[in-house]
Amino acid sequence: MESVQDVQYLDDLLNKTLHLHITDGRMFVGQLKCTDNERNIILAMTHEYRQPSPADVKLAAERHEKGGLPGNVKVDMRKRFLGLVVVPGQYIEKMEVEGPRTPHLTLEADAFDVLTSR
Amino acid sequence: MPEDDLAEEAARLTINGDNSDRGDLGFVAKRLAQEARQTLSSSGGSRGIRDVTEEFTVAAKQLQPGQLVKDEYFTLFEAVGALEIMDPKMDSGYVPLGDTLEPDFDVCKGLPAEQVLWIMDELLRLTAVWHDGYPLSQTIFTSLHVDRLLSPDNRPPYQLSYGDMTLRIMTVEEQLVHIVLRAYCVALVKSCALVLHTIQSQNFYEEEDFVTHLFGRELLPSTGANDAIKLLDEAVKFLDGAEVRQVMRAALLERLHFAQTYISLLITNSADWNTLAAMGRLAETHKLAQPIPEAFSDKVQRQLATSTPPRPMIAISWDEALQRWTEFCADVVEADRLTCFDVCQSPHALHRAIWAFAYREPQPNTFARAYLQTILFASEQITEGMAFFDLMLTDMRDLALAGDVLADPQSFLIEMPSDSRHRCSRIIEMFMDKAFDEYMNLYRMVCQNRCRIRRTFTQSVAIFDSLETEAMKTDAELESITPGIVLPHEDGSGKVALNPLTSWVKYHRLQTMAWTTQLGFETDIYLPHELSMMYWYLMVFAQRRCKLVEHIERFLAARRKRFASSRDARPDDEAAASQEWLAVLHKQADFEASLSSALWQLTELLMTLGILQPPKRDYAQEQLLYDVRMKSYLGIAHDPIPTLEEYMSAAQSDQSVGETCNNVNSTIADAKGCLAFLKKTNPEQGKYVGTEEQWKREIKQLETTCVAVAVQTSQLRRVADKHGKLVSVARDASMKGMLEVSIPLPGSRYHGWWVVPQIRERKK
Repeated sequence: MESVQDVQYLDDLLNKTLHLHITDGRMFVGQLKCTDNERNIILAMTHEYRQPSPADVKLAAERHEKGGLPGNVKVDMRKRFLGLVVVPGQYIEKMEVEGPRTPHLTLEADAFDVLTSR
Repeated sequence: MPEDDLAEEAARLTINGDNSDRGDLGFVAKRLAQEARQTLSSSGGSRGIRDVTEEFTVAAKQLQPGQLVKDEYFTLFEAVGALEIMDPKMDSGYVPLGDTLEPDFDVCKGLPAEQVLWIMDELLRLTAVWHDGYPLSQTIFTSLHVDRLLSPDNRPPYQLSYGDMTLRIMTVEEQLVHIVLRAYCVALVKSCALVLHTIQSQNFYEEEDFVTHLFGRELLPSTGANDAIKLLDEAVKFLDGAEVRQVMRAALLERLHFAQTYISLLITNSADWNTLAAMGRLAETHKLAQPIPEAFSDKVQRQLATSTPPRPMIAISWDEALQRWTEFCADVVEADRLTCFDVCQSPHALHRAIWAFAYREPQPNTFARAYLQTILFASEQITEGMAFFDLMLTDMRDLALAGDVLADPQSFLIEMPSDSRHRCSRIIEMFMDKAFDEYMNLYRMVCQNRCRIRRTFTQSVAIFDSLETEAMKTDAELESITPGIVLPHEDGSGKVALNPLTSWVKYHRLQTMAWTTQLGFETDIYLPHELSMMYWYLMVFAQRRCKLVEHIERFLAARRKRFASSRDARPDDEAAASQEWLAVLHKQADFEASLSSALWQLTELLMTLGILQPPKRDYAQEQLLYDVRMKSYLGIAHDPIPTLEEYMSAAQSDQSVGETCNNVNSTIADAKGCLAFLKKTNPEQGKYVGTEEQWKREIKQLETTCVAVAVQTSQLRRVADKHGKLVSVARDASMKGMLEVSIPLPGSRYHGWWVVPQIRERKK
């Protein structure tokens, strides 16, 4: 019973855009294509993001100042396109999903249906 | 940009799916559409992001080991291509413990002249490697100076330091880097852009021939090639007055001059690459350079957009690199010579020229072949005054319609609609329209790599076959307007017309069939036990070509008889030239038929003697194997190829060993006779203007091949005689243990298209 709900939960996440933060500090953003019980994730159309280095911050600050722009300095994360990747579950520290609908509600709705059908 | 990502992903999918059947393509299309919708409609950014770590982990744990939750269109076949993150062999962004993300090298620091020289030479070496087909990520992009110039953080005017350089006073060593090395790097990068443009404007095969991937970088878009030349000029001016040792100054100036010449040649699309080759003096001054390998690193791949695993930097020696440059320059110069005005006047001569180019040793690189294609196809005409249409019409005229009013260029200018010449011309034009693409492919496809030439020509055969149907219809129409000469059929039964267009298409089809078979020998796709059958088919194709040429010659002779009474010499001159050439074509087809017959008989004999045998295959059926091998020819509607049964009944297994050896020898004698005739033809007769050297060389190689066949046959005869097998009929495989045979590999043959088995007595 529980397994069906969990499969449904994971199924609903397929093709959604995930943000995976891994142990070495990188982040991978891509569409979820496949997962298994070890939490290994296959993402498609993946971009890899890195935190900007101190040199990046310095460069952005210099340019910001030179340009006479107001407000705080905005430093972009370094980004590059990778394509199809598999992230082993053991390296995933945090997972986020993009999108408006929350699976929480789905889970509760399913639970409700199960109860009422009895 | 999401669209670029899609394009990249789509391109990768296309390559993987190249060999899959049509069903996978539908799948892939659905999946791409789905991903496109997702990407373009995703909310993105930091709004609407939800932490699901706990929930996901809990849900995943509930799955069975090995149970997958996956998208229905996602196949595990594709999953194999996924890059595994944190695996050093797959993850180009993985930074091992203790290592830094970026190499620890300051590209802005000044360097002594000796080290700058080494970096410049290293870049030259890497450019040669890139031309060979290795991706930029393993070659030019590994230069940390180039990497800095191309970095996404950099802005025009693309300095090595991101800041403003003009305010500081630089040391000489700093100037060598920021003025000289920078100019050189910019010029080399812009040269890459020009090379890519040439290659991508023409036909080539990605990853087979060349890798055009830019890894998410742009090649200094705000700087033009002419700006690069200006930078080089400034660098030269600086060097002239700089405080540098004279010998180093001279060496550095040579490199700058090389870069200037290289980029200028690319800008003007000039063929004057001799000037570049003349700078072989670079070799002498290279020893002045002091290595600084820290200026190059494969760590750059960590930041390049790449859907491939990390790859090593390529190592070829400096001497090898210079050798490549020299050959490269020679190829471009030769491409220009082979397509000069005189050669282009004759379609056949031009065709020979392109084949000669493709067969240069070593094979010309992708740029050189793209350059040749640019010369031929980039403008509206083959050469001055010879439009593609003219080329094609000349081809038809030379082959089948010499002196005939149908193919006279003047006929096509007649405007009076009631004039039969006007009507015929329009009909012929319509046919030429249909045949145009495939006809031009005859030239274009020879500029591809060898395997692709064979594969595309295999497809051409089917297209020519269907064109033959069109040609027959067109010939019938022409016949109804301008009835041509009619002659009695060769076998005496009824009358026959020339059917010029049909003959023309048929000739090209038969020629293409022969080429695909020959290229099959060259690219080594036939197993030893298949040689016999393939040589038999080659013989049949050549014999059919002979017959066709004879057919055309009969009508040409008849046409000439008619000219005898007219006053205009031009058509007769044309016909005479065509007659001489057809005689050459006839002899060439005769030669091919003879040599392939000899080799068929020899290899057939080896098979029946049990010396050449197919591997043991319990489930193989002759017919199925035949179907697979002859697949591309099975669909031919117009005079279909002989069936498997017909081939097998042609096998001469009723003759004795001695008799077969005699036949082989007499067939070889015929072949040699053909070569003797061909040797005496001049370039105009044989239409080999521009490829005289190649003609001579090929005849020599073919003579050697004939001799080799005779030698091997006598070897076989000797051993057979020794064991008293000379008069036996070979069917009992009785000589099995006495001889061994080896098949020469491509590259170790007298002529790449002819495989002569090497026969040796097996020592007990």
